[in-house]
This record gives sequence, C-alpha cells and structure tokens, in this order.
Amino acid sequence: MELVVLSSFLAATVRMAAPIALAALGETISEKAGVSNIGVEAIMLSGAYFSFWAMFQSGNVYVAVFAGILGGAGTSLIHAFLSLRCKADQTIAGLALNFLFLGLTSFLFLMQFGKTTTLPSITVLKPVALPLLSNIPIIGEALFAQDPFVYVLYLMVILLMVFFYKTEWGVILHAVGEAPRAADTAGIKVHAVRYLACTANGVLGGLGGAYLTLVKLGFFQENLTGGKGYIALVAVILGRRNPLGVLIAALVIGSAEALQIRLQTLGSTIPSQAFSMLPYVVTVLVLMLSMGKGHNPAALGLPYERDKR
Amino acid sequence: MAEVLVRATPLMLAALGVSVGFRTGFLNIGAEGQLYLGAISITWLGMTFPTLPAPLMLVLSLVLGFLSGGLWALIPGLLKAKFGLSEVINTIMLNYIAINLVGILVRTSLKDPTYPYPMSPMLPASTNFLQLLSPTRLHAGLLLALVCAALVYLLMFQTTLGFCMRAVGLNARACQCSGIAVSKYVIISSLISGGLSGLAGVSEIAGLHHRLIEGISPSYGYLAIIVSLLGRNNPVGIVFASLGIAALQVGSMSMQRSSGVPTSIASIIMGLVVIMILSRKSLFRCKEA
Repeated sequence: MELVVLSSFLAATVRMAAPIALAALGETISEKAGVSNIGVEAIMLSGAYFSFWAMFQSGNVYVAVFAGILGGAGTSLIHAFLSLRCKADQTIAGLALNFLFLGLTSFLFLMQFGKTTTLPSITVLKPVALPLLSNIPIIGEALFAQDPFVYVLYLMVILLMVFFYKTEWGVILHAVGEAPRAADTAGIKVHAVRYLACTANGVLGGLGGAYLTLVKLGFFQENLTGGKGYIALVAVILGRRNPLGVLIAALVIGSAEALQIRLQTLGSTIPSQAFSMLPYVVTVLVLMLSMGKGHNPAALGLPYERDKR
Repeated sequence: MAEVLVRATPLMLAALGVSVGFRTGFLNIGAEGQLYLGAISITWLGMTFPTLPAPLMLVLSLVLGFLSGGLWALIPGLLKAKFGLSEVINTIMLNYIAINLVGILVRTSLKDPTYPYPMSPMLPASTNFLQLLSPTRLHAGLLLALVCAALVYLLMFQTTLGFCMRAVGLNARACQCSGIAVSKYVIISSLISGGLSGLAGVSEIAGLHHRLIEGISPSYGYLAIIVSLLGRNNPVGIVFASLGIAALQVGSMSMQRSSGVPTSIASIIMGLVVIMILSRKSLFRCKEA
C-alpha cells in the first residue's frame, strides 16, 4: 500500500516537473548564448493557449503541439528582436512580454470562446507505458509510464548534454555567451547564433506550455501558468545551466508541488494556501542553498554591439 | 475621474518604490508582495490595538507599513548584495508567498469570526484615512503618495545618499573601485523600495477597503513597474504615468461595462506600450546614444 502511494507520488512529481523542465531547458540554451529571457512565462502561456486553440479546432494532437511550438517561438522572437536588435534591457523586455501575453491570451480566449460557465475542454493525452521498463518497482511507473512529452524531455536532456559538451556547436554557443567579441573575431555570427538560441528557447518553452493544456489540464484559463515560467528560471539557475542539473532541479520543485496537492486533499483544517505556498518557499530556500556556486555566462544580459567597445 | 485618482494612489506609491530600486540597479519585481505585507501590518495593528487614538494610529500604521514592506524587500536585497542572487526571481517568489500569506491570515488569525467569508473584521475608525470628496472613494492616500513623491525626489536628487544610490545603479563596478560600498546602497534601496510599496498597501486598506481581503491588489505591484518605466524613474514622471495607467484601467473597465470589451485589453496595451518604448530607438531612429 505504502509503495503504491510512493510510486504515484513520484509519478505526479515527474508530471509537475515536466513542463518546468522543458521550459527551463529552453531558457538554458538562451542563457548560454547570453540572452536572459524573463519572459518564459509569456512563452509558456502563448504555447499553452495556441496549442489548446489548435487542439480545440482540429482535434489533431500533432497540429496542436506544432501550434504550441509556433506560439512559443513567436513570443521568444519578439524578445530576441527587442534585446538583440533594439538592445533593450532584457529583463524589462521579458516583463513587458509577460504582461502582453497575459492580456493577449485571455483576450483571445474570451473572443474565441466567449464567457461560458463551462470551460471548453479537450481530451488530454494518455500516458504510454514503455514495455519492461515501466514494470520496475517504485520508479518504473514514475519514469516510464508517462505521456510522450516526458519521453521527449528525456531525449532533450540527453541531446542537449551531447550538444553542449561534445559538439562544436556547443562550443560556439558557449563562446557567444562568454565572449561575444572574441566569437565575432573568430568569424562566428553572434546575432545569428543568439537568434537561433532564442528560437530554441521558444520552441521548448512552447512545448512546456502545450504540456499544461494538452496533458495536464485539458482546458485553458486566464493566467494558466501561474508563475511556472518564473519557476523554470529558478530551475535554470539551480541546475547551473547543465541539462541534467536542470532536470533534477525541476524534479525537486515538482516534488514540492506534488506534495502540496497531496497535502491539500488530506482535508486538514490548515488553509490550503499554506500548501500552495510550498513550491515557492521551496524555490527560495533551494535558491539560497545554491548561492555562491553559480557561474553566469560572462555576457549574460548584455547586448552585443559590433562597433562599440 | 475621482476613481482614476483612487486607482493612481497605490500605483504611484508602489511605482515610486520600484523607481528607487531601479535607480540603484535593484530590479524590484516584488512590489506586489510588499504591498500585501503593508496591508497585513495595518490590519494587525488595527485588530491588536483598536483603542489607540487616531493620530498615533496613523503614524504607527505608516511606520509599520513602511517597515514590513521594506523588510520583505530586504530579503532579496540582502541576498543580492551579499550573495549575488538574482533579485528578480526572489522578489517574484516572495510575491506568491505574500499572496498566499494573506490567504492564510484571513482564514486563521485575522479572520472575522462572525462572517463566513475569509476576510478580516472591519478595522476601527481610527485607522481610516480621511475621505476627500465625500460621495467618491477618493481618500487621503493620494496626498500621502504626492508627499512621498516629493520626498523621493529630494532623497534621490538632493542628498548624498541619493547620489550614491544613483551612481551604484549607473555603474556598480566603478563605484566599487572608487570605494563606495555598493552592497550597502543596494540594501538601503531595497528597504526604501519595499517600504514605499508597503505604504501602498497601508493606503489601500486605510483609505479604501478598511479590512483585509484576498486580492486587494489587481496586480498593482506589476503595473507599478510599467508606471516606473513610463515615468523614466523620475518622481514627477511617475505621478503623471500613474494617472495615465490608472485612466487606462478605469477606462477599460467602463468599456467592458458598456460594450463588452474584455479588461485584458488594458494589459495588452500596456505590454505594447513598453515594447514600443524599448524598441523606439531602432524603429524610429531617435537620436539617443
């Protein structure tokens, strides 16, 4: 009995962590290239809305995922334009995007579906259990009986590990984030790399947002992400921009979230807000534990201007 | 029109706080949470000492509100100054914590036992701000905000402290090299920044709601960032910018009532305005180095 509880708790942890981890991986790529995007929240919201909208209209999961990716990438490219072309303050640009998309998604949603008492909903994706692997006790269900997104996440972590640390592309990405001028001198197109990194950020963030509507909830509502984008940023810092580390950080935060939902359903006299607070408190505490060890890319948040020193 | 002023009051106070932070390079996204802390402090004061005379109550509630908001902002301020942790993330997380804290308090220790809904009892009349124009909801918080704007102006532009704070914001590295204690000014600025946001919370409770309820702030704290940006972190600019944003909000609400346009249009417009400000240099070829 205990084992069943534990194993379903672990499974919930993975489900909570997956969207955060996806978005955080995207932000990792972007930050490695020196673009810090606080607008992950906007990217996720946009991904969530557009994937929901496409799913509702077409009923086709692939179309929906694609729409989510497009939504996320589009959002990220606005940020890329503002911070690369206009050399705006990246934090403020990200905040502005968060505002814009919080309004835009709820506006579009109201325009599309009107004010109804019943939320329009879509069928959520079913988990796919991998044969054999899912039969491992305790962790089998948590890790290998999940929806396709989670497998994509595993794949992304592995691919990014190889990409960052084993390929020349990874070196170029690091160079652009650490020393853009040196990279430029070496013939690397700094802005092109940064735009690509931002697009990757949008794609993964859009996937993270799509996860929320297509897998977890099956509906859309105003401010659906509720700060998950910001939490993804924390996962990036905690994971020190290492894909595996980011995944683990997301799992830690996800476990806090899974725990708070478990605690809420116990029906104690403690107000539910005490539990909703938990993931945020854990985030701050874990962030404090990580202090002093972080190493930011040297050019993080700085626009690169070719003709200036 | 009075409603615009009512809405502009907390915006003005919180934006002044945000601007003090911005000037020192402390990106305070946490005005929302600091506002809630200020609101909690005055509610606690009013419920614990309901018999205090009005003038004393006023002074105490302002001091306490400033301190509670300031201390809430001091957490990320200290973490940034001492350990280099991103204040952006921490302030946002503290916002969520503060919102949930209000949710807990209005259900437990600050709850009105005679009322089924989660809210605090009506606070004693001594905590209330003066109503300015009787039929409207306009209250003395506006005067408080204007006084604060003047004080912030004096502090930032007429004192050595303000000069050092601005210098740290312009180039922390150079300040470090020339012997200015950067972390000290970051901490001071976070305290003032949060304190002003805390006052916004006090003024909302004392002037408008007279009791602590959930969701007293329709994201004033986040709007304050935009106001501060629009006002170019200048107290005078902020006074006008907060009026503008408040008008936009009030306008969007009356638009929804009259023609059914969702209020989220206001948030879209504000997002676009900021994006325009950010991109104006390269889009419109303004001459600016």
